[in-house]
Amino acid sequence: MAASLLSRRTGLFFGVSKLNSFIPAVVHQIANYNPRPLWLNIKNPYIPNKESEKTPDWQKTEKYDRRLFGRYGRASGIDPAKLWPSHARLEELLAEEREWHPPLEVMLGNIAAREKEKAQKRMESEKTIAANMAKMPKMIADWKKQKREVKQKQREEKIRRDKLLAEARERFGYALDPRSIKFKEMVAEIEKEEKKKRKLLKRSKREEEQGLPTATAESSQ
Amino acid sequence: MMSVSKTTAGKTIDIVKNLPRITLANLRPNPGATKDEKRRGRGLHGGNRSGRGHKGERQRGNRPRLGFEGGQTPFYLIIPKYGYNADHSRRPQYPPLSLRRLQYLIDLGRLDPTLPIDLTQLVNGRGVTIQPLKRDHGVQLTDEGADIFCAKVNLEVQVASEKAIAAIERNGGVITTSYYDPRSLQVLIKPVPFLMSGEPIPKRLLPGEELLPYYTDANNRGYLSDPAQVQCARASLAQKYGYRLPDISADERFEMLAQRKDPRQIFFGLSPGWVVNMADKKILKPTDDKLLRYYGS
Repeated sequence: MAASLLSRRTGLFFGVSKLNSFIPAVVHQIANYNPRPLWLNIKNPYIPNKESEKTPDWQKTEKYDRRLFGRYGRASGIDPAKLWPSHARLEELLAEEREWHPPLEVMLGNIAAREKEKAQKRMESEKTIAANMAKMPKMIADWKKQKREVKQKQREEKIRRDKLLAEARERFGYALDPRSIKFKEMVAEIEKEEKKKRKLLKRSKREEEQGLPTATAESSQ
Repeated sequence: MMSVSKTTAGKTIDIVKNLPRITLANLRPNPGATKDEKRRGRGLHGGNRSGRGHKGERQRGNRPRLGFEGGQTPFYLIIPKYGYNADHSRRPQYPPLSLRRLQYLIDLGRLDPTLPIDLTQLVNGRGVTIQPLKRDHGVQLTDEGADIFCAKVNLEVQVASEKAIAAIERNGGVITTSYYDPRSLQVLIKPVPFLMSGEPIPKRLLPGEELLPYYTDANNRGYLSDPAQVQCARASLAQKYGYRLPDISADERFEMLAQRKDPRQIFFGLSPGWVVNMADKKILKPTDDKLLRYYGS
């Protein structure tokens, strides 16, 4: 495919007749682009003298040795075994890996745990919401009832007050202030009378009930 | 000019033919289309200081840049970035590669579809520019040009949209999304400077916990996902977008299309731990037990 490409490209420029004389029969094209030439300077490599004091420190480091090897290969005179990390360095790397890069299973486990926690929280909150929503009709009814009762009480209270006021007005002949002593005395009187009436009512009711069972017992007998 | 009502249908063209030719002298813009420009420094009111004010930086055109507050730390520096823009400079970025551009590169011969197309190949063919130091984590495949895409490729990108995946698979190709940590990415996009440094090829790290769900998902064709699920995802995607999924195993280039990198591998055919020397044209492999275990894990 690459060869056909090249021939197609060259065919455009030079024409088919010149193709045979300019280009060999087998074209070996490695890249489809024009790579930058690699000027490696293998003929006169600069390899620093490790013992001398004049060479700067950075040219005596392991990193520089690796770079020398990378550029010049075996001609640099560096032992290839030095390219890989030493055992001490390897221990450091392993420790780092153990701490900062957990294996795939551990990471998946962490993710799963987090997802589960989130899902659980969501479920719990949804449950509470559902439970509360189920309670809602009853709570609404209760609240409404309570409000109604309060209103009812207020209305009754108002009626009672109005009645007392009217009673007071009748008795004394003028609009009496509910906070005055006379009014309060009057209220107390009315209360007493009401109590007496209720007691009488109760007694009569009891007598009726007692009378009725005895009457029925007598009639049955 | 002649009004239309005086002429019959056939005579209009004769009249138009007989009118004088259109020149600049016969043309005039519609009323209200043009407005006279404001000319500074002319007339009793426009002259004198020409609308620049009285002395100082205003008149002399030496005002400082927008946002400068006379030396006080300006508003746009003193307010910290929060919320939507917090940590924006640390977010991973994925320069886009549209299917249209991919097709263009293949057509021009800058990419070879007979070999797996990798980020290295894309950068070699100058299809994309990746800057790992600017938080680029790879390339994302966008679906512009999905309708004109017609190449069968074995593609490896970092992020791909669903439509782009569909477009590639429809043409009988294969797409994988894989993760490269920043060091591996630098090695991947510029292999030659890396090989010149004489370092052993590092092993690719796994994605962090944030990106792991993306790369274990078969719908994204993640490199850590289950191959069986990938097959199911291919079928369901074909059904979703309405094309017949071609059978790759019957293809002539099946072996090339089936080539996939190991999760710890950066280059095809090269394992982590090897030293590639270009001067000698040799590959050096470690023999030490511990090193082999480290690079093989």
